[in-house]
Amino acid sequence: MSKLGQVVEAVEKYNKFVLDQVKRARTDENFGRDLLGRWNDIKAKIPTTRTPTGLPLPRLALPEIDEPGEIARYLFGEGLPGEFPFLNGAYREMYLEPVRDVESLEKNDGKIHKKIPQAEEPTRLFSGLMLAEDTNERFHYLTRHQRTHRLSTAFDGPTLYGIDSDADGVFGKIGEGGVAIDTVEDMVRLYNGFDLGSPNFSASMTISGPAPMIMAMYIAAAKRRFGPKIVPKLRGTIQADIFKEVQAQNETIFPIEPSLRFLTDMVEFTTREMPRWYPISISGYHIGEAGSTPVQQAAYTLSNGFAYAEMFAARGIPVDQFGPRLSFFLDCGLDAEYIALARVSRRIWAIGMRDIFGAGPRAQLYKLHTQTSGRSLIAAEFKNNLTRTAVELMLAYMNATNSCHSNSADEPFTTPSEEWIRLAAHGQAILLEESGMFKHTMNMLSGSPGMKAVERAVEAAILDEFREIERLGGVLAAVEERYQRSQIQSAAHRYEQQIYDGTRPIIALNKYRNGDDDAPEVKLVRTPRKKQQLQVDRLTKFKKKNAEKSKRALDKLAAVVEGGKNCFPALLDAVEVCSLGQVTGRLQEVVGRFRPMV
Amino acid sequence: MTLPIRILTAVPICDGHDSAINTINLEFIRHGIEVIYLGYHRSVGDIVRAAIQEDVRAIGISSYNGGHIEFFAEVVDLLRAKGAADIRVFGGGGGTITHDDAAVMKRKGVDEIFFAGTSLADMVKFVHERYGKPHGKRTGPTSTDQELAHKLTEIEDAAGDPKKIRNSRRSRVIGFTGPGGAGKTTLIDELVLRFLNQNPKGRIAILSHDPSVVGEGALLGDRATMINSQDDRVFMRSMATRGQAGGLSPATHDCLALLARWGFDYVIIETVGTGQEAMPFQKNGIVDLTVMVMNPDYGSPLQLQKIVMLDLADIVVVNKSDLQRARTAHTEIEQRLEQNRRAQQLIDTVAKRHRDPGVNRLYDLISAVAAVSDRRSKGKRRS
Repeated sequence: MSKLGQVVEAVEKYNKFVLDQVKRARTDENFGRDLLGRWNDIKAKIPTTRTPTGLPLPRLALPEIDEPGEIARYLFGEGLPGEFPFLNGAYREMYLEPVRDVESLEKNDGKIHKKIPQAEEPTRLFSGLMLAEDTNERFHYLTRHQRTHRLSTAFDGPTLYGIDSDADGVFGKIGEGGVAIDTVEDMVRLYNGFDLGSPNFSASMTISGPAPMIMAMYIAAAKRRFGPKIVPKLRGTIQADIFKEVQAQNETIFPIEPSLRFLTDMVEFTTREMPRWYPISISGYHIGEAGSTPVQQAAYTLSNGFAYAEMFAARGIPVDQFGPRLSFFLDCGLDAEYIALARVSRRIWAIGMRDIFGAGPRAQLYKLHTQTSGRSLIAAEFKNNLTRTAVELMLAYMNATNSCHSNSADEPFTTPSEEWIRLAAHGQAILLEESGMFKHTMNMLSGSPGMKAVERAVEAAILDEFREIERLGGVLAAVEERYQRSQIQSAAHRYEQQIYDGTRPIIALNKYRNGDDDAPEVKLVRTPRKKQQLQVDRLTKFKKKNAEKSKRALDKLAAVVEGGKNCFPALLDAVEVCSLGQVTGRLQEVVGRFRPMV
Repeated sequence: MTLPIRILTAVPICDGHDSAINTINLEFIRHGIEVIYLGYHRSVGDIVRAAIQEDVRAIGISSYNGGHIEFFAEVVDLLRAKGAADIRVFGGGGGTITHDDAAVMKRKGVDEIFFAGTSLADMVKFVHERYGKPHGKRTGPTSTDQELAHKLTEIEDAAGDPKKIRNSRRSRVIGFTGPGGAGKTTLIDELVLRFLNQNPKGRIAILSHDPSVVGEGALLGDRATMINSQDDRVFMRSMATRGQAGGLSPATHDCLALLARWGFDYVIIETVGTGQEAMPFQKNGIVDLTVMVMNPDYGSPLQLQKIVMLDLADIVVVNKSDLQRARTAHTEIEQRLEQNRRAQQLIDTVAKRHRDPGVNRLYDLISAVAAVSDRRSKGKRRS
């Protein structure tokens, strides 16, 4: 049985444990009394806050139960926010504004003296366009008023596929949809002027297939600017999720097994040398966007996560070292499942990590970034997309996501424009800061009977998916059989059919349609040919300058890969003198190219 | 009865967005269209080469990663440069292609761009109306590959009315057959890689088959996974069986005869995944060498007894020999072959593995057999 099968058993066992505790609370008088005492203590310690209209509210809302069995069901089955099994949240407080303490308010005649430090600071600023210096300029513009510099980097197509800007037939794609990175020199330009070692800086890089090479370039660029002592201080995230690439997003460049090996080499290095780095972001977003059902999205993301954990543990990396460095990324759409998808995921992850992988508390947390669904946005009467995104945001925050990105309404047409990006960010601020739904009371919208019904149904469906994957021999075997891919594809097809036969209403598309599309005026930013040529010229110069050295570095890298040792240090040396495409090409000679699955 | 329309679909280079095209492919094949799917992250050269070899009516491109104006225009231009302007180009890219872009693209020779919100039914209707009429008279081909492609189309369109093509083959013809999911396509692609590396000037042809029912469409998807076979030195043609049982199409025999005298070093023919009773290559000895590719998961040894091809194959391959059951499979198949008392070869491979030693052995074996048969029939081929 793979670890995934064991996780299924662990969740079943835990659910039975909860039922046993409920029964025990009702039959064992001492136990029941202890629980009741604990419950009363918890309630007594909840601070009160006051809303702007003067209404006193508890900072944490608990179900109104006073019967030991029900208390046991809540405490063991759900857990308080920040407590195992984390159904209600990985942390306490989350989105709450600082305490408006009732007593101190009264002392000060009801005046609020504390300034609420909620600057307009959307969590991550996703950007990437044209050449490294253009993106760099954009990064500086986006962060000009911010205390924390949290940059999120999008790469262009050639970079995502690990090929150089001078490769055949990619000229028109240079700098399109993201930044073009060919060499360590580009990487220096990309983050120029930012203090990479500062606790207020973090870099996120959305790239998976060539992630080890890009990671190596980032480290090499940091060393060039700040010296070798910078390495342990580097903070950020690299996506590096190979499984979801093979299942959904198709940006894989080596066969699956060597891809996973290079990933593990990188993770082994970063967990040891860069304790503040997140070397993988386990992503359901692209699975959801490729057309999966919400349950498939949650189930494949979790099972991929457990498969990575199994791999890293097998390499000998301690679970309490890599566990806290894993993070997750989910899509949030409009289907009913989304009211509890992340809640259930968090609970299954915690149980699996604790009971099967022996993880300590920090390694049990399913730390989640959510993005609203791009697929749910449509071109027809596109302003409706603001409403769609607002509902999705609400669902995401009801799941206590740790951070969130809201899509802009003009996304179906183009790379988001300034105006609609701003509205999307404001959507979050309106929800969290303007409305009273999330800032006064944790759990304000949790625990409705409907939400609980969805939780039960979703958990059962996820475990069924796990069983199916286990039956196929585990995640890797199922991936190779293209199980997840075909499931996602048939779900996508069903979704389209439902739109066309009307069983899935899409307002202004197949229902209440008025026929006129109100496309926004699209101002497209496209990379000028001159810039594309500049990138190619710089690359040519770099290759010429390093012709001799790169040959030696690549030979050394190839030898290490053949020899089976961790190749990340050799990769670090190689990117000093080799381009991304040169490294990819040489590695493909050794381990082969990815054979696409269709 | 009208013949199925053949079109090719693909996603451009550096673009992995295949969700839309997968849905559209399914819709096309449900409505009588034969779709040769080339997959995602495909270069202009790969797309145009495949379209000419497959002699499709049109190319449908689904682009979501930008650079579409250049990419579509390059496809149209390269088709024209290769004398294949009769192959039309259409496509879409949801909201990423603006109306202004589409206008430019149409000026550059693209037939149609579908925008977000177009119904699948409208796309199907477009393909039927625009590309459904029979080929008119075409101008003479500008390359031998194009000439060959046109002739294959004529043969396929006239199937059921077999031409008498002289069976005077010059190439070695190797037949690959076996149950679905055994990995025939991957194995062939790996052999092609070895052939290309070892024969810097050699050329190879592949005739691959996928099942279809009379009058309905088919998804011909082998090209998408054959990464090494997208090469100017490889001529590949995908055929739907169009209702014929046994793993081949009604036109296979004549197409193969034509390919075999065209001058390739090898012609490889791959059947659809076959059942136990299939004997696809028995007709008129159309192949020189038969390779039966097995999956270790065939069930009990009793099942092996029923597989007719195990009596007839020259080489039996147990692919996926990294699977747990592979050792047992090898022993059981070995026993099964011993009953035949013929010089059959049994080889274990893991085709998905890069530089797999088993595939190397298979390649060497095929080369050796070919060399022997070459010497034996030298005089005849020269004539």
